[in-house]
Amino acid sequence: MKRLRSAPLALAAALGAIVVILFAAGAPPLEAMRVIFEGAFGTTDRLGATLMAWTPLVLAAAGLLITFQAGLWNIGVEGQIAMGAIGAAWMARSVEGPSLVVVPLTLIGGAVFGAAWALIPAWLRTRFRVHEIFSGVALSFVAAAIAVYLIIGPWSRTGVASTSGTDIFDPRAWLPTIGSWRASPVGIGAAVAAVAAVLVLLRGSRFGLRIRAVGRNAESAHLLGIPTQRYLVAAFAMCGALAGIAGTVQATGFHHKLVPSISGGYGFLGVLVVLLAGFRALWIAPIALFFAAIQVGSTQLSLRLGIDSSLAGVIQGALVLVVLIVGGFQVYSAARGPVVTGEGEA
Amino acid sequence: MSLVLRNIHKHYGSVRANDGVDLEIAPGELHGLLGENGAGKSTLMKVVSGFIAADSGSIEFDGAPLGVASPRVALEHGIGMLHQDPLVFRPFSVLDNFLLGSAGGVLVDRKGGRSSLAEMAARYGFDFDPDADARSLTVGERQQLEITRLLWRGARVLILDEPTTGISEPQRVKLFAVLRQLAAERLIVIFVSHKLEEVEALCHRVTVMSRGRVVGRRELPTPRHDLVRLMFGDITLGGARPEVTLGDPALSLRGVAARTRGAPLHADLTVRRGEVLGLAGLEGSGQRTFLRLCAGLDPVGSGTIVIGGHDLAGKPYRRFLDAGVHYIPAGRLEEGLIAGLSVAEHFELVGPNRSFMVDRGAADTLAAERIAEFSIKGEAATTAEALSGGNQQRLLMAMAPDHPVLLLMEHPTRGLDLGSAQWVWDRMLRSRAGGTAIVFASSDLEELQRYSDRIAVFYEGRIIAVIPASTATSSSLGLLIGGVVS
Amino acid sequence: MGRQGRWLKRFALLAAVSLVVAACGDDDGEAPEDFKFGMILVGPQNDQGWSQAHYEAGLYVVEQLGLPADAMIVLDKVNTADRPETSIESVVDEMVAGGAQMIFATSDDMKDGIEAAAAQHPDIPMIWSSGDSAWADGKGYRADLTNLGNIMGRMEYAKMIAGCAAALTSQTGKLAYLGPLINDETRRLVNSAFLGARYCWENYREQDPSTLGFEVKWIGFWFNIPGFTLDPTQVTNEFLASGADVVISGIDTTEAIVRVGQAFAADEAVWAIPYDFRGACAAAPAACLGVPYFNWGPSYVDAMQSVIDDEFEATWLWLGPDWDDINNPDTSAVGWVSGEGLSAEASASLDDFIAGLGSGDIELYRGPLNWQDGSVFLTDGEEATDFQIWYAEQLLEGIVGASAAE
Ligand SMILES: Nc1ncnc2c1ncn2[C@@H]1O[C@H](COP(=O)(O)OP(=O)(O)OP(=O)(O)O)[C@@H](O)[C@H]1O
Ligand SMILES: [Mg+2]
Repeated sequence: MKRLRSAPLALAAALGAIVVILFAAGAPPLEAMRVIFEGAFGTTDRLGATLMAWTPLVLAAAGLLITFQAGLWNIGVEGQIAMGAIGAAWMARSVEGPSLVVVPLTLIGGAVFGAAWALIPAWLRTRFRVHEIFSGVALSFVAAAIAVYLIIGPWSRTGVASTSGTDIFDPRAWLPTIGSWRASPVGIGAAVAAVAAVLVLLRGSRFGLRIRAVGRNAESAHLLGIPTQRYLVAAFAMCGALAGIAGTVQATGFHHKLVPSISGGYGFLGVLVVLLAGFRALWIAPIALFFAAIQVGSTQLSLRLGIDSSLAGVIQGALVLVVLIVGGFQVYSAARGPVVTGEGEA
Repeated sequence: MSLVLRNIHKHYGSVRANDGVDLEIAPGELHGLLGENGAGKSTLMKVVSGFIAADSGSIEFDGAPLGVASPRVALEHGIGMLHQDPLVFRPFSVLDNFLLGSAGGVLVDRKGGRSSLAEMAARYGFDFDPDADARSLTVGERQQLEITRLLWRGARVLILDEPTTGISEPQRVKLFAVLRQLAAERLIVIFVSHKLEEVEALCHRVTVMSRGRVVGRRELPTPRHDLVRLMFGDITLGGARPEVTLGDPALSLRGVAARTRGAPLHADLTVRRGEVLGLAGLEGSGQRTFLRLCAGLDPVGSGTIVIGGHDLAGKPYRRFLDAGVHYIPAGRLEEGLIAGLSVAEHFELVGPNRSFMVDRGAADTLAAERIAEFSIKGEAATTAEALSGGNQQRLLMAMAPDHPVLLLMEHPTRGLDLGSAQWVWDRMLRSRAGGTAIVFASSDLEELQRYSDRIAVFYEGRIIAVIPASTATSSSLGLLIGGVVS
Repeated sequence: MGRQGRWLKRFALLAAVSLVVAACGDDDGEAPEDFKFGMILVGPQNDQGWSQAHYEAGLYVVEQLGLPADAMIVLDKVNTADRPETSIESVVDEMVAGGAQMIFATSDDMKDGIEAAAAQHPDIPMIWSSGDSAWADGKGYRADLTNLGNIMGRMEYAKMIAGCAAALTSQTGKLAYLGPLINDETRRLVNSAFLGARYCWENYREQDPSTLGFEVKWIGFWFNIPGFTLDPTQVTNEFLASGADVVISGIDTTEAIVRVGQAFAADEAVWAIPYDFRGACAAAPAACLGVPYFNWGPSYVDAMQSVIDDEFEATWLWLGPDWDDINNPDTSAVGWVSGEGLSAEASASLDDFIAGLGSGDIELYRGPLNWQDGSVFLTDGEEATDFQIWYAEQLLEGIVGASAAE
């Protein structure tokens, strides 16, 4: 109940923060909000652009929900997205054939690469007790470095060593689109399916119940005979696979090539989405839509109102802060729970 | 200066934890609060000390109503509470923990604090090293530090929720002396406990609660059976322990040494089916290591652990489970149950796993059956942490397989009311009749003597004696526990 | 089209502008009131470098053509790191939806996006600056994109001047070039700077050309993207530590001049030459030897005028300096302004060098010249064609640094 209330609360706080910032920047807040809204949903093309940002965000958030429920801070999701993109790019570059063959292969390649990359923090955690936050941050750097290496090295354009990206993939490897819409129904379908699957998995399945048990109290779960390490590894792998699909969507559905910043920060944003959603699958889609809309729509602030583009950055920064504060409060109040200890008073 | 509670209500969903409680305590009074598990004692005390807000009702102290529910405000009014759960200390020194939350500004007067601590400790006969790491303190010492701190902060009402679990006998004696001294200084002391003899020894008056309501008040002394009847109605306590014929060895340890550091445990021991082995000793003398070794939870250094005919030493925990070993630890919420998961989900976790999906309807039905069978005060959807201590223990018991080969328990009745404790033992003895071997650790000598066939006494990590319970007396056990081997 | 043709055009344009002004914004003037154009910048519009030069060119166009103040629709920082959710195609869509009748995509990096966008909006004239998609003889020719033209300045000349200024000033004889990414354009510019430096080292300083050190390090992109490129400040530090005393920047932003300026302020004898933007010396004037810069304004005015006149053609323009006054804001596509750091003596030699370039007396792309791997680029007396210069295959012999990705 508490969480259900706090998601809208956080959204309201975020909107409030945006208004304050716009006001401070001398931009007419209502007008600016209208511009952002229209920029995100005004035309079918813009809706497409928004969904294009929404897709990887939802995929990453859905994956993160699993690791969060398993009690893991899978910060390395950024690297898993990048690795997924690399796997997809590899497929797209090396397999020639009709879309019906190549596209599934890129999706599988992305999922496998993402999952494999996620197994590294899983292994470090279960074998050597290295906390996944540390390994995740490091592995994200490594994944980005691998992407950069491939882009300026083995996969560079002939005669060029630029981090601006590889050659464009063969269009048959692109995620298929309908008409002029940039967002691919395959990507959107994957995102929706991911949320549904995670929802069913965590809410209704025995597997999800055990994941939650491990996440909430690994010691007790172990005592109850649950092979906790196996579940941790499974959670990592699932999140990695979904992140890898997010990377695939970024590579073959959006950029149509591999670029260094392929993960687009959607992993970090995904963490915020999950925190804001109060770890509930159903809230992921709308909250991710909100973030995607802000991100896509705020481009219009520069285009239409001539507002310094850094304002969009400030808005997003403020959003992050608001989310963290509200999210932190939520985590805090959840942690306080009904058990009161002697230190509570101080 | 008296404390007056009027018509306190506190409901959790459909549970009426406090359902119109009135209570009046005069200064200088040592007041006992009794009641079965889940009666609402802790809830009431948390309301008084500001940790939770009542749904309705009023609290007056010294003629003034207490407003906002917050521990800080309550303490400013002179009401301090020592909680039932073990005290958690921050990784600071004793002095810093003492100074935590002290009044006045940002700057902490450490020098003044140091002398206050020394002065207060001297006054109540405690002995602290202000610079020691507070986490190194024993439960009893933590309690002493917290009491000192509350008194220093000006507490005139001191609430102690089951303060005698987990502390040593000398510490208990010391505690009682201090509480009597405080009462003599015209403070109010509220003492929550399940141990009738403690209440009888200490308190002037008692209030008995049941199902959120006050069901009786008595001046002490009053006959024991009177109190018991108030709490539980008519029950027979200490029913006879049925005799059973012992079967094959269920557990047999040969030259077992623990690999955990600082645990020089060595054990050669056989427990047969139908036998009850009690583990005695001061807290932390190796009983826990022993139980965890037998459960397959701690690594074995050397030796063999034969259970059901197979040597399981060094085998994974799963093998122990499959061999019919079941372990119920003391820290119910820390290492037994999973806070946040409901009762039904707990059963689902240990149930036979057939389908991929959980059948909610079936799970709720199963939970309802178990709840009824084990008389758990709660519902299928109640989360584990919302159960009272006694009901958490019942849930743990309900999750155990029906007839394990070997049942290992740590403090099976700690924090349980008499009725619940009785019930727990009834269940265990029934399993035993079915051939289960039981090994349990307890700090309650009477419990050890009453239910064990043999008692293994632990001292500084080693088993120093294994004696038949029938020959053990409280005094002989007491000596052994202290390390005195005749 | 010759230089003269453009002159005539410019004259006509000026006349038209004055007419418009005289007519107090009369509607049927040459510049329609509602004409809008889109300007896509790869970096921040105030980067004191490449992107700012384009941005100011846009302002110049607005002023010269008398367009309303909001005629330019700008979006800056259009790159995958700063705007992960944005693609060139969608930016073009938005600009067109916002009324833009012409689009400028101002980075080499935008190749794929602007080519796709040009195909999607065949009616909207577009300029891809620094590209080669409209060069019929070029390697990247896209005959199908008749609405996509290219404009580039002959920066080689200004880079030669920069190299010369560096050689005239250096005390250690070690010059450093802070390179962005490796491609034809950047190799071309490094080579040009090197040729200018070697010429002046030999002819004005009267030193053996083989004693001149010239090293290039590439950061990986046009500007610093933490985590994805090398840090240009760090690279500059490495240059200084290795004994180089002039750092020539080839990246879009000002890290080199800023860092060198700090060292200079700490009394080190080191100098820098920033790039791209006329005002770039401002970051550390005393340490600045000068700046080779682009002046996109005039060519953009021409391009836009042709759109207004409905005469736009997708051409590839590679525009040189106006040798009469390489710093004439209305005529010269590239320029060089000397900085405070350049001594009077060096300044005199530099002027002589510039005059020699202008008159054609000094022709640096003439053989014998070898590629870095020792193979022959130009035989003795052979002059390089535009094609050979534009598609610089390698760095030249004598330059230390990577010619291609390792
Ligand atoms: N946070 C909570 N949420 C829901 N129910 C709760 C919560 N806290 C307590 N309860 C319920 O309120 C009732 C009273 O609990 P309380 O802890 O006050 O009992 P108690 O008398 O202290 O029992 P014990 O002797 O076991 O400590 C119990 O049924 C318990 O399940
Ligand atoms: Mg209690």
